[in-house]
Amino acid sequence: MAEQKSEFEPKIVVYACNWCTYAATDLAGTSRMSYPPNVRIIRVMCSGRVDPQLVLQAFADGADGVIVAGCHPPADCHYIEGNYKAYRRFELFRKLLGAMGIEQERFRLEWISAAEASRWVQVVNEMVAQLKKLGPLKPNMEVRE
Amino acid sequence: MSEPRIGVYVCHCGFNIAGTVDVKKVVEFAKNLPNVVVAKEYVFMCSEPGQDLIKEDIKANNLNRIVVAACSPSLHEVTFRTAIKEAGLNKYLLEMANIREHCSWVHHDKEKATEKAKEIVRMAVAKARYLEPLEELEVGAETSALVLGGGIAGIRAALELANYGFHVYLVEKSPTIGGKAALIGYIDPQTKGAEVVSKMIDKIKECPRIQVLTNAELIQLGGFVGNYNAKIRINPRFVNERCTLCGECEEVCPVEVANEYNFGLSRRKAIFLPFANAYPPYYAIDYRVCVKCGECEKVCRFRAINLKEEAKILELKVGTLIVATGYDPYRPFKGEYGYGLHPNILTLFQLERLLDPDSPTKGELIIGGKIPKNIAFIQCVGSRNTTPGAKEYCSRMCCTTAINSAIKIKERYPNTNVYILYKDIMTYGSDETLYEEAGKKLVNFIKFEEKIPKVLITPEGLFIEVFEYTIQENIRIPVDAIVLSIGMLPPRDIEELIAVTRVSCGGEGFVREAHLKLAPVEAPTKGIFLAGCITGPKNILESIRMGSAAAAKAMALLSKGKITIEPMIAQVNEEKCSGCAICVGVCPYSAISIKTVNGDRIAHVEKALCMGCGTCSAACPSGAMQHLGFKDLQLLAQTRAVFGGEVHG
Repeated sequence: MAEQKSEFEPKIVVYACNWCTYAATDLAGTSRMSYPPNVRIIRVMCSGRVDPQLVLQAFADGADGVIVAGCHPPADCHYIEGNYKAYRRFELFRKLLGAMGIEQERFRLEWISAAEASRWVQVVNEMVAQLKKLGPLKPNMEVRE
Repeated sequence: MSEPRIGVYVCHCGFNIAGTVDVKKVVEFAKNLPNVVVAKEYVFMCSEPGQDLIKEDIKANNLNRIVVAACSPSLHEVTFRTAIKEAGLNKYLLEMANIREHCSWVHHDKEKATEKAKEIVRMAVAKARYLEPLEELEVGAETSALVLGGGIAGIRAALELANYGFHVYLVEKSPTIGGKAALIGYIDPQTKGAEVVSKMIDKIKECPRIQVLTNAELIQLGGFVGNYNAKIRINPRFVNERCTLCGECEEVCPVEVANEYNFGLSRRKAIFLPFANAYPPYYAIDYRVCVKCGECEKVCRFRAINLKEEAKILELKVGTLIVATGYDPYRPFKGEYGYGLHPNILTLFQLERLLDPDSPTKGELIIGGKIPKNIAFIQCVGSRNTTPGAKEYCSRMCCTTAINSAIKIKERYPNTNVYILYKDIMTYGSDETLYEEAGKKLVNFIKFEEKIPKVLITPEGLFIEVFEYTIQENIRIPVDAIVLSIGMLPPRDIEELIAVTRVSCGGEGFVREAHLKLAPVEAPTKGIFLAGCITGPKNILESIRMGSAAAAKAMALLSKGKITIEPMIAQVNEEKCSGCAICVGVCPYSAISIKTVNGDRIAHVEKALCMGCGTCSAACPSGAMQHLGFKDLQLLAQTRAVFGGEVHG
């Protein structure tokens, strides 16, 4: 037990779109599901709103992992195609992470619909397990504002 | 704005929060956060005493930002916004910290949950420091509506709107309104499609507020909710209201094509009357096939024909748009169940048309020159199939329509044997009684599974070979006619519709509603509503209802005469904007344009078009484009606060 307490607890910043993923995180609550307390959720209106700069800042400040989550393609997006914008941006961004010395596994782009509370819980569980395996992020970079 | 003075209010939500989170510790923690002036707890913040607590504090402590740590903003953000507004604060100076759904309800370890709750509050306070007052805007709105599509859903919507007193432009692509419902023999055993449509058309004739534009297409849609500019092209009809329907022109016309109003059962001339009750009630010349020989013009004694007529462009200002452009019947490929290889193999639409009194057989079931002794329906043709061109969905109306027709055939031709070959019967709701009735009338139901029936065209006649699922045996049925129960497809020109109106396409190729349950009948773009089969297969009753529903929503919008614009939208900092136009490309609503101001290119946001997704803001390379309520600085502050950091800006 004592060992478990000192175990590394990763911190994950989540950018969740208001209409799908944020609603799923709410549903996980109202359904009294259970998941590890490692996530900090920031609400945005659309996954297309998430600026990669924010994600980099989160890593620079000490996030061990970041999740950007929105509505399922092709057609769940409340704003027609914001999820595609996010997809385009973050698939490229993921490649850049490696170049910065951040393991690509520390970043996830997820599609979680308003009904998929269990998917949300699964993503959190997977990410926590993954990050525990990777250990804390040792930033070797500095992001200027 | 002056230095932030923040009040933090932590809710117990009975035991819902306090049972897992040590609320007192959270309050103590909040007191030491920057700019926090007061931090308090209460058993139910959303209750009246809870709200009063906040209101009193705002006045007593001169608070100018409020953080409520309680449930999800989706639940009580509006409640607390209203409360702080009542205390004289701008309602957008509120931030919710979701410590119930995101914390106390999903975690069990009190210590960890309390630590997390503290951080959630810290993030909310960090964002609150940068909140700004926002104002809702109001703009005037036109009180007229454009209904696109003159089928039964569009007609219903137009009638509802006109009855309420609004002016309606009913725009129909073909030369007559009425749609496919006007051609269908029977909607149910008692009701003829043509009758229902004729009654509705009669009402349209009486109504001065409905302007029917046939042969017309929407070619451009500009503006925004309440203030749409619609450009309509009216293709020439070449025949005017002097036409008396004498029909002499038709006799002399040398051009003959398949008659789409009879689903290809007969042929028509280039000059024709679509069907008996067509409206407007005069002939039309199909401009796509007319050879302009002038014979009709010569023979017309009423000078109703003018072959020199040209297309006209009409520009309309409307407040709202209802899209009701319908569907296309599925087109079986040649040889699919023998389709196209034998004259006695028809589609369900053709059969329905045959049973209409206005049909080439005057409503009689005459196929291949005689009344069939054995007729078989094959269900799910083009629906619930994975063959190329087919759709996986159920087309909803084909089972009931086939059974309905079967009952009618049994009533009128008792000596005809009717077979219905099906996978599953989908006569949902009260239509189930039709299924029962068909059984009583001795319609033969034959079930097949994965192995689809085979149609054999032999010198001895037509046969269907099928593995009957219930008796698990191959059977061979001699038939005189076969009806393919074809489903519904998105209309062929849906791409153009999407390009012009910016409605969005759903997974199955139809147009998508903004939200099936929370925003039904609405397109994602404000002020555009949807009705009928354009959103997917529906039966006639459902289409009528959807027409009414769309009209109700349009009325709610039009009746105010003004539009309120949500303030959480994009805003340009003109000093920073370089006019690069990256934002223009990413905006899904075409809300951004580049304008030249004093010689500088600057992005301009059309406020009423902006839906507030913030994609432009994420794409802007210079930080000039800001998403109000989710500004870069606000999200950055929230992000940094996760780790106890702050921003300075």
